[in-house]
Parts: sequence; C-alpha cells; structure tokens
Amino acid sequence: MVKRLILPVVAVLVLLACCLLSLLVGRVWIDPAVLADGLTTPRTDLAWLILFELRVPRTVLALLVGGSLGLSGAVLQGLLRNPLADPGLLGVTAGASLGAVIAIYFGLSASVALVTPVLGIIGAVLAAALTLAIGRNGTLTMILAGAAVSGLMGAGLSLALNFAPSPYAAYEITSWLLGSLADRGWDQVLLALPFMLAGWACLIATMRDLDALTLGEVQAESLGVNLGRTRLLALAGTALAVGSATAVCGSIGFIGLMAPHLVRPFVGHEPRRVLLPAAFVGALLLLVADIAARLIPSSLELKLGVLTSLAGTPFFFWLVLRLRRMAPS
Amino acid sequence: MRALRASVAARAGALAPVLLGLLLGACGREDVGTEVAIPAKPMRIMSTNMCTDLLLLMLVPRDRIASVTFLAHDAVEVIMPGADRGVAINHGTAEEVVAQQPDLILASPWSTPVMRQLAASTGAPLVEIDSAASFADIRRVTRQMGDLVGEPARAEALVAEMDRKLADLAANPPAQIRRVVVWEGDGNLTGSGTLTDEIIRAAGANNIAGNFPAARHATYSMEELLQARPDAILQGESRFNPPSLRESAGDHRLIRTAFKGRRITYPAALHACGLPQAADAARQLRAEIARVPSGPAPW
Repeated sequence: MVKRLILPVVAVLVLLACCLLSLLVGRVWIDPAVLADGLTTPRTDLAWLILFELRVPRTVLALLVGGSLGLSGAVLQGLLRNPLADPGLLGVTAGASLGAVIAIYFGLSASVALVTPVLGIIGAVLAAALTLAIGRNGTLTMILAGAAVSGLMGAGLSLALNFAPSPYAAYEITSWLLGSLADRGWDQVLLALPFMLAGWACLIATMRDLDALTLGEVQAESLGVNLGRTRLLALAGTALAVGSATAVCGSIGFIGLMAPHLVRPFVGHEPRRVLLPAAFVGALLLLVADIAARLIPSSLELKLGVLTSLAGTPFFFWLVLRLRRMAPS
Repeated sequence: MRALRASVAARAGALAPVLLGLLLGACGREDVGTEVAIPAKPMRIMSTNMCTDLLLLMLVPRDRIASVTFLAHDAVEVIMPGADRGVAINHGTAEEVVAQQPDLILASPWSTPVMRQLAASTGAPLVEIDSAASFADIRRVTRQMGDLVGEPARAEALVAEMDRKLADLAANPPAQIRRVVVWEGDGNLTGSGTLTDEIIRAAGANNIAGNFPAARHATYSMEELLQARPDAILQGESRFNPPSLRESAGDHRLIRTAFKGRRITYPAALHACGLPQAADAARQLRAEIARVPSGPAPW
C-alpha cells in the first residue's frame, strides 16, 4: 500500500517544485523573498506585476497545454491502437494552426479578441471532422486520412505564407508556428480554458471504451462499445483541447507522443490507466521544457516548440527502433 | 569504364577555361550596363523601393514617374494624401523593367538580382539608394536623389525645411527629459543607430533601449520592460498594415494596465523610411510626450 503511494507523491512533489521554479525563472531576476512578499500582499509593484500578470499565467498555461497534449495523445494511441499516434497525426494541430493564422492575417483578431482561439478550434474541429468522415471505416484508413488532412492544412498554411502581406508578416507566421508561451497572460488562459475543459470531458468519456478496444474492434463492438461514438468523442475532445492549446501558443510537437509512453512502464498498458497519468506527465514535460527555454541563454527567444521537437526526435527514433526489435521479423 | 571516366575528366578540364571565360564575359557585360550615362533630366523614372517612391513623389512632377512600387500607396495616404494619383505601380520585377522602359531605375540594396541583371542588359541606368538611419543620412540621400532626377533645388528646399524644424526643436527643449522606449510587442530592441532613436532624441526624450540591463540581447521581454520603468512606451502605428500578431502582443493586458495613459503611437512609415518629414515625426512625438502624466510609472 505504502509502496503504491510513493510514486504519485513523488510525481506531485516534482510538479510542485517545477511550478515554483517556473515562477522564479525569467529574464529579470527577482529575489525569492521579494516574490514571496508580493505573493502575500497584493499591490501594484514590479514583483507583483511580473509574478501575477506574467509568470503565473505562463505556468498555468504550460500545465493546461501540456495536460491537453498528453491526455489526447494517450486517447488517440488507445483509439488507434498505434503507439505512434499523436494529435499532429490526425491533422488537428495543423488545422488549429491554419485557423489561427487565418484569424490573425485577415485582421479578424483585431476586431474581436476571441476570434483567434475560436477560429483555431474551428480549424481543428473541421480537420478532425474531415479525418473522421474520410477514415471512419477503420484504424488504418483513419491514420491515412489524418495524414492527408495534415497535408491539406499544411498546404493552407503555405498558402497563407505565400500571400503574407509583407515579408515581416511571413516571418511572424513562421515564428508563431514554432510555438511559445512567452508573454502570454490571463486573457489567453481564460480564452482557452472553457474549450479545454469541454475537450477533457469528451476525452475522459472514452476511457471505458478504450479498454474494450484493446481486444480488437469486432470484439469491442460485441462487448457493446459504440465505436462511432467513441471515435467522435476522441476526435471532438482532441479538437477542442489541442485546438485551443495550439490557438493560444502555436504548435508544440512530441509532448502528446511522449507522455503516454513515459507513463506506461509505471501504470501498465491498459489505456484507461494511462490517460490521467499521461496528462500529468504531459503537463510536467511542457513545464520543464518551458523552464529550459527560459534558462538556456540565447540572444533571441528559444521557441518552446523547437525545444520539444529537438528533445522529442531522439525519443521517436528510440520508439521506432524498439518497435522494430519487437516486431516479428 | 575507367577510360570513360578519364575522358570525361579530361573534357571537363578542357571546358573549365571556356566556362571561366564565359563567366568573366558575363561580369564584364554587367559592368558596361551600369556605366550607362544617366540623363540630366530623366523623364521616365522607375522606383523599385518604397522609400525612394516617397522621396521621388516629393521631388518630381507625377508625369515624369514611370512607376512606383505597389507598397507606396498606403504610406502616401498617411504622409501626403493623393500625391500618387494616376501614377502606375510596379512590383520590382524584371519583366516590368522591360515593359516600362524607364530611363532611370531607383533601386535599394535589397532589389532582386534578376531585375538588376536585366536592367543592366537593357541599358537602363540603375542607381542604388541607401536606406537612411539618421538625419545626416536623410540630408545625404535627399540631395543624392535630387541630383539624380535633376531637381537639386527642390531637394535643397526639403532639407532646409527639415533643418529649420530640427533647429526649432533644439532651441526649445522640453522642461523635463522623459525616458521612453519602443515596445512593439515582439520584443525587438530599437536602440542607437536607428532613425527612431534619432527622432526620439530630436524630440528631447531619452531612449532607454541603450541602457537595458541585458543590452546583449537583441530582444527584450515584458519583464525587462517593466523593470526598466519607462515614462512612456512608443508603439508604431501602421494604419495601412493589416493587424498583426505583433500588435496583439503589444496589446497585452499587462501593457494596457501598467502603461495606462503612457502609450504613444507614432506613424511607422516616417520611422521606417528616412524622409525629410522625420522632423515632423519628432515634433509630433514631443507633443505626445508632453501629454504623458508627470512623475514616474506608478508601480
């Protein structure tokens, strides 16, 4: 009993330590004592402004976005019964990026603040709907449809770059797509949170069906699983959670892929047991990556998406090699 | 097999001097092209850079302009509305050089290489105009353009007008030197060596971009902006540009609350191009700074 509790407790302590570190680290060094003072007595001074308007929302956003990515990665790997699945595979990330880029460059974001995340989510939902409509017959067709939809959304992004009103705008689109949490505030948290919560609800609702799915699609259906409903919930949940995450901080890769793999050795291979720990580890991973992005000295901001991709690719190689070893030759 | 490879090598070796000759010949032709004499009073001037577009529209009557770039119109509407009515536009491409047959091409150091080559081979004189990053640059470039297009007196008048306004600003310094910094939301540091820096100084303010604690950074974050406690932040207003992400970042909730009444917008076109109107930009900035609440930032 005690042994079973050690791991979660250690994990939560690590997360708390990372949250504290995230509040301490920034371009401006503020004495922890001053920060603690600012924490307890709310007043408009430098420490309070930096802590409450910049670092706290940034930390919260890292946790929310990382959690969304980890959770949807775990659901998609369970749904598709494929260890390489992640939100990017089904075109959701590309769709959200396209929606957000359209909102920014057709000037819609200036008129209503909500437009960017809403269009990002609409883009993600449309991409997911397209993937689901084309690939609803089976797992393999869904993955293929996802690749096709990703390609389509990527072409749309290239088109936006092509017609960028100025070279500066093109630069802005590309650097926005790299993904970052810098200078985000409560506005972004409040915009993304409702959609994320709805998405999480959809994703968690698939939990029971995913376990049945490990037996195979036919067997799962004979156990009473409505596969169409499960696919719809998983894709809608991914579109809402990852779509809103992408819409506020650009596309961030590999977290959704890595988090479920990292927790499986500890919790086992039942998809149901993987979901919440994967969300937890996703949040932790993104927070650590964001702290690293702030700590690594560079004259220009090191983009978060670049860092997660750099750190994630070796992991992907390792995964492919392991799969090759395990596959019957 | 080996013999074949050897023969190919030998042939390539024999070809090398020929290729080199061709290459040198090509270079030679280009040199001849740029030496084409510039007419004393060019009548079909083609400008391929937004900043030379604006200067050109100020210096010569419209019927002597073959075309200006498609970028000019929106800036013209801000600086001198209506000045480009009826003037054709170009996109700085090689084909347009052939089609419009200008007798003078104004280019920038960033004009496309193909357009330059073609301009050289069609015999149209192409003159590169530097971008201006200071009032001294503006005087030099304006006079250079005036000489090129055969309107030196007009150029001299524009420079004199600018210098008169600058002298007027310098003679009546503001009572208090306020500390300001450019914040565009993307964190780019607008420090010394930029026209904006000169305009801020001419307006009688202190650009604190230079003494940032982390001056080694090419960029600065919102945290450093807060720590530096400027009296006001300057945000470029490009009425003619579509809204961008940069501007939405400049509109962060923190910026809205912390710099309430301390945000100054400036016409981005006048800071991007070195024009004699930079003196007006400095005047405008001084008036805006005078409206900033006195005393340091409240936090």
